[in-house]
Amino acid sequence: MLYALDLSLDSEEGFASVKAGLTSPLAKFVIWALLSALLYHLVAGVRHLIMDSGIGETLEGGKLGSKIVIAVSLVVIVLAGVWIW
Amino acid sequence: MVTNVTNLSRSGLYDWMAQRVSAVVLAAYFIFLIGYLVAHPGLEYATWHALFSHNAMRIFSLLALVALAAHTWVGMWTIATDYLTPMALGKSATVVRFLFQAVCGIAMFAYFVWGVQILWGI
Repeated sequence: MLYALDLSLDSEEGFASVKAGLTSPLAKFVIWALLSALLYHLVAGVRHLIMDSGIGETLEGGKLGSKIVIAVSLVVIVLAGVWIW
Repeated sequence: MVTNVTNLSRSGLYDWMAQRVSAVVLAAYFIFLIGYLVAHPGLEYATWHALFSHNAMRIFSLLALVALAAHTWVGMWTIATDYLTPMALGKSATVVRFLFQAVCGIAMFAYFVWGVQILWGI
């Protein structure tokens, strides 16, 4: 990812080659996989912050919260896929 | 077990705080970048270069890079001390865990220096 950032900021040609590289189906799939993991981590992390503030700390709340995390993550991961393709 | 000596701040409470503060910074940076990319579908080199040349963006990027290093250290330390234990690995656990943490630390340091070079090299 850092290499892509480096290349894309280095020169016009570098930017074009990153852009071209990201059009292949394999590259798109890899980006989607990385993005999916990061999005899930983000959503689960936000849940942690919410639980830190004392919301959803009961057994029922925890179970509900984990289901919400899965559901929200699925939605944003699908949206990310739609955006990439 | 020598575990506390390798955590970020020698204090669990401070680590807890560092993890959350860095998490908020990273979330803001990630959401900003994704939002920027979604808002600029046919992104050109000049626009992209201008974004990262802006001083505010450099500060934000450097902040995110520092946060990433801290967040990663706390996270990998937690994984290492939870799973790379004598119960799982026997006598060699401390050596294995220490090596694992050293690799994580060197990797994060390398990413940090590389990131600074990218940000200030353009």
